[in-house]
Amino acid sequence: MQKKNIVFVLNEYNGHGGAQRVASILANDFVADGHNVKILSINEQQNQPSYFNDQVEVNVLHEDGYRAPMEKALFPHLKSFKFKVVSKELKRRRQLIKSRLKVEKFFDQFGDEMVYVIVIQVWGMQWLENLMYRKNIKIIGQSHESFAAAYNSHRFKRILKYYKQTAKFLLLTEKDATKFESLGFTNVGVLHNPTTYRKKQDAKKLWENKTFISVGRLIEDKGNDLLIEAFNKVKDQLPGWKLEIYGDGPDHKNLKLLIDIYNLHDRVFLKGRTENALEVYERASILLLGSKAEGLPMTLIEAQSCSLPCISTDCAPGIKEIINEYETGLLATVGDADQFSRHMVRLAKDFNKYEAYSKNAYIESQKFERNYIKQQWYALFDEVGVEHE
Amino acid sequence: MSNFEQKQTPELTVVVIAYNNELYVEEALESLYHQTLKDIEVVVVNDCSKDRTGEIIEEYIADKPNFRVVHLETNSGGCNVPRNTGILHSDSKYVMFLDGDDWYTSNACEVMLNAAKRTGSDIVAGQVIRTNNYETWYKNQIYSRERTNINVREFPELIFDSLSVNKIYKREFLDRNNLRFQEGLHYEDVLFTGQAYFLANSISIIPVPIYYWRVVENAKVKSITNQRQDIKNFINRINSHRFLDKFMIDNGDAIYLSHKNNKFFRHDLRLYVNDYLDVDEDYKAQFHQLIQEYLHENINKYEFIKLAEDLRIICYLLYLGDQAAFEDYIHYLHDLPTKELRITHNGDFYYFKSDMVPKEDQKFLKVTNPKFEIGIDDLQLSENNLKFNSNVDLKSFEDKEVVLYQWELRNKSLKHSIFGKNKDGRIEFDLHNLLPGNYYFYLTINFLGKAKEVLVKYDMLNKMEYIKVESNKYSISTFVNEKNMIGIKNRPHSELTDIYWKTRKRLRKFRSKRNKNKKNNGLLTRAVKKLLYKLPVKKNWVLFESQMGKQYSDNPKYIYEELKNSNKNYKYIWSCENVNEFPVEGNVTKVKRGSLKHYYYMTRSKYWVDNQGISHLAPKKKEQIYLQTWHGTPLKKMGADKDNATPAEMKKLQSQTKNWNYFISPNPYSTKIFKKAFKYTGNVLETGYPRNDLLVQQPEQIKKKVKNHFNIPEGKKVILYAPTFRDWNENSYFDTLRDINKLSKEINDDTIVLLRLHYLLASKISQIQLPGHIINASSYSDIQELYLITDILITDYSSVMFDYAVLKRPIIFYCYDLDEYLYYRGMYFDLKEDAPGPICTNLEEVLQFIRQPEQLDAYKNKLEQFSKTYCGIEDGQASKRVIEQVFK
Repeated sequence: MQKKNIVFVLNEYNGHGGAQRVASILANDFVADGHNVKILSINEQQNQPSYFNDQVEVNVLHEDGYRAPMEKALFPHLKSFKFKVVSKELKRRRQLIKSRLKVEKFFDQFGDEMVYVIVIQVWGMQWLENLMYRKNIKIIGQSHESFAAAYNSHRFKRILKYYKQTAKFLLLTEKDATKFESLGFTNVGVLHNPTTYRKKQDAKKLWENKTFISVGRLIEDKGNDLLIEAFNKVKDQLPGWKLEIYGDGPDHKNLKLLIDIYNLHDRVFLKGRTENALEVYERASILLLGSKAEGLPMTLIEAQSCSLPCISTDCAPGIKEIINEYETGLLATVGDADQFSRHMVRLAKDFNKYEAYSKNAYIESQKFERNYIKQQWYALFDEVGVEHE
Repeated sequence: MSNFEQKQTPELTVVVIAYNNELYVEEALESLYHQTLKDIEVVVVNDCSKDRTGEIIEEYIADKPNFRVVHLETNSGGCNVPRNTGILHSDSKYVMFLDGDDWYTSNACEVMLNAAKRTGSDIVAGQVIRTNNYETWYKNQIYSRERTNINVREFPELIFDSLSVNKIYKREFLDRNNLRFQEGLHYEDVLFTGQAYFLANSISIIPVPIYYWRVVENAKVKSITNQRQDIKNFINRINSHRFLDKFMIDNGDAIYLSHKNNKFFRHDLRLYVNDYLDVDEDYKAQFHQLIQEYLHENINKYEFIKLAEDLRIICYLLYLGDQAAFEDYIHYLHDLPTKELRITHNGDFYYFKSDMVPKEDQKFLKVTNPKFEIGIDDLQLSENNLKFNSNVDLKSFEDKEVVLYQWELRNKSLKHSIFGKNKDGRIEFDLHNLLPGNYYFYLTINFLGKAKEVLVKYDMLNKMEYIKVESNKYSISTFVNEKNMIGIKNRPHSELTDIYWKTRKRLRKFRSKRNKNKKNNGLLTRAVKKLLYKLPVKKNWVLFESQMGKQYSDNPKYIYEELKNSNKNYKYIWSCENVNEFPVEGNVTKVKRGSLKHYYYMTRSKYWVDNQGISHLAPKKKEQIYLQTWHGTPLKKMGADKDNATPAEMKKLQSQTKNWNYFISPNPYSTKIFKKAFKYTGNVLETGYPRNDLLVQQPEQIKKKVKNHFNIPEGKKVILYAPTFRDWNENSYFDTLRDINKLSKEINDDTIVLLRLHYLLASKISQIQLPGHIINASSYSDIQELYLITDILITDYSSVMFDYAVLKRPIIFYCYDLDEYLYYRGMYFDLKEDAPGPICTNLEEVLQFIRQPEQLDAYKNKLEQFSKTYCGIEDGQASKRVIEQVFK
């Protein structure tokens, strides 16, 4: 295969969310195939390791630690004599122009060669505006959340502004793509996220772990409180079962409080962030996701790829693309702890059901296998690159 | 006693029905077992399931004394028998229903029972949530707030919720009315719920979600009510509605049928129409027959009128039974090609075409915004210009020739536009005058003079190209904004320039806001006017106006010219609509009608000369003299003679007439009419019309001037076609254009037709490219001059005949709508009897006379007689006589 130039644009290359995980899987694989892969990171976290391997060249746009604030209108603030805001905004604008030039210069190194730019988060698009007019640069924009989640965020306006003009705009599910199409987007496509881990495990062994797990950042939207509520409702029906919550984040103390209130110290454990997710999936029985909003959650994909059945809230169209209801896992209404807890009992009490789901989960998760996804990316590169030649 | 109370049956029974629900039924039962209200009775009816449903139920209820199961011995094939069986096996005060694949929220029973007891209603309804999108069902219309003890007759929107499961029913209410699910009928909910609504004295609605409706997408087996591909399904639905129709009529509620029908169109029918493209021919044929029958039963076609446009057309085409047009319309809606060209027009509106539609029903097929296809290809952008291939198409439109397009780049905030020039399908924009800022593409689609502006959106194009060019001062690029508008962006390199233009933009916005708040007649203006009014009248100032300042023509023009030539020491002022383009000659002051300057001259001029009415623009002083010349011999009824003259109109007229000092009349016939119609008692100058002096004198240099103006070679025959303005018929303009096209084809090369339309239509016609032999003379200021070079006049009910008769040249009357005209506008004069020429009712007859003009000789005597009656006074000296009497 011809050597390709591929640039990933991320907010922070060394963050630890699903977005970085996905980007790193792709980047590491592209490098392994001999492509020229670079990262353009808008900012970086201090002294944090990253998922990317050493062969991937990382460039940070704001090395001095500058973080661009949100855009503000100038005139109304000027009128109400808010000069602090005005001066901050002016600084932002100056910095934006400066950084844009820096980005242009970065891309000059490729000369006329074709470059595929994968924008992981829409925030980075503001620095790429001038690149849209370069014929050799093909921008592929991504949104890693559902339409509904994007719609209710400040990202939505940026998506409308920038992603219409990119060579491709990738969503995680067909339903989300259709929604954006109805808003006038003509460049939408669907590409799933690849999974890092894939391991066939014995259902009997897993079931005997008697462990519910949850993996993800501890923020309110992830709904870990719902999991504790649900577990509390059925703790007596499920003797010997425990709930382990992996990850850290601002919601940690609330969850701890909840455990105190229900006095679940010996049943529910906040395990902190884990470096080795595979190990966690080997020690678990059932993965739980109690989120209020999601895109195509990596943790569900990973768990199923490791033969774990899942119980999740039906919080995004992406959920049903991963979980086949009553075949690989169970779904509950968002926020309904009663229903969620009943599903927990249903699966934990019935080994036949559990075994069937576990087997199905492994088979069904094949569509997220990294090689399969990688080939789809190559096909996409061919599709958007065709015009140039 | 207390022991007995404990054993009393619970107040609420939930009837659960299950058929092959092995996957879900446990969850349904769980949701009941875990209700916050514990004291309920559950009756599960297993409709002879073939899978494990029965076992699962038995297993689940084994240790739950308040749960019971009834196994039916044969499958009933629907929901009716099981639900009725459930009711039969319970005797509590209230009943609710749950389907085996759905579930309740955990407090559903508590909330519903409380509401039922609190309100005492026969029925209480709660919200349903569909699990494929978690949207509530008709949330906004019906469940927006709590409604207590209402009746369906006061809130008929309720009919839109035709589900039976999201409600709690008083058992006594069901029994009293013998209300059960009608067995053997699918879509039982439509009928049952409909009957319940109209039987219930009081219904309450609580805005609380209580019921989850499991919507299984891509399911291998769809539930009975979801197999729309089978025609039996449609028959079932229609039958349910038939039963309900009959029930409502028998129950004396026929007047509410329209609400039920409205729901049928918008919900039930729409579902089947959405599936239409996926069904086979056999299905389609049956579908059309069934729906046409049903639509003719208890539905009045005028119920379609209030529907949204697409549904209105769908319903009407189904009602009409025009399958071909219906299929085409569905294709049209889905942007697929239609078999025939279906979008048609009548000059003012677009319609979807059906060959079967009677003329009076065309309104049902009106299309407000026909669909366009806009293509921009091969876009090139340079510093100085922007070029692209434009491909604009009105979809499925039959008459493409009549549509003109104008591309425009518009900067809204600076109010600056650049228009594209069409060079063989390639549109070119000159960007030399591009201002900094964003310009967006607009397309004006000009259809028979009716312009429609389309904002060009990104998704209308097949493909958008992104180009950026840099000049030494600016960078120009194409782009799409967040609202899908496409355009070009012009950014100056220099920041100072950028700031300058941004400030300008701001100031402009600010100013336009300020101006909006200012009324036309501000305090200041009024004060100034008051002062001006006090200024003395100038004895030698004369103010002229003709046709409200729109033209330099008619009697005021000829009086002005005569006065000017008499070398008297007068100052002349002309009031005009457009000062810069007003063609008056000589030493004259032009003022814009309605302006403060105009007011100044009006209030100071001694003489006012006008042919319509200006006295409302400034109060007339006693010493001022108002000469009303009027604008023609009356033909149609006017003023007090009009059948439908309103008091307000008369008052307005009176306020004008009382200011007139002199009134010019062209002949004794007119004098009588004017006096009566205007109730005018002042001086009448029966002098003949000043404007007709020209027709008597017939100066050669004017003839030459007109012929040169229109490039008419000597020796060509000139026909003047001057139809009147048919203000009661918006489409008449289109009829005229059609005739013009025909005329153009039928007349020979040595004939020219001058088309003269009412001045209100002049701007419309000027945008149209007219066919050969036809020249547009609608914008020519003075029609009198046109008469001079005319050989034959074609007209209808216009007073031009009275002027033209001075020339004693032949007139053809083309009155295709004479009866209609007489109905709308009475006439003073019997055209049929006294017309000085042939009256033709179709264009063919007109053409006969044009081809053989000698046939017109037969009307010579009539024309002589006519001329004598109406133009007897005209001797070329009318202006002089008027001036002698007025300007003493």
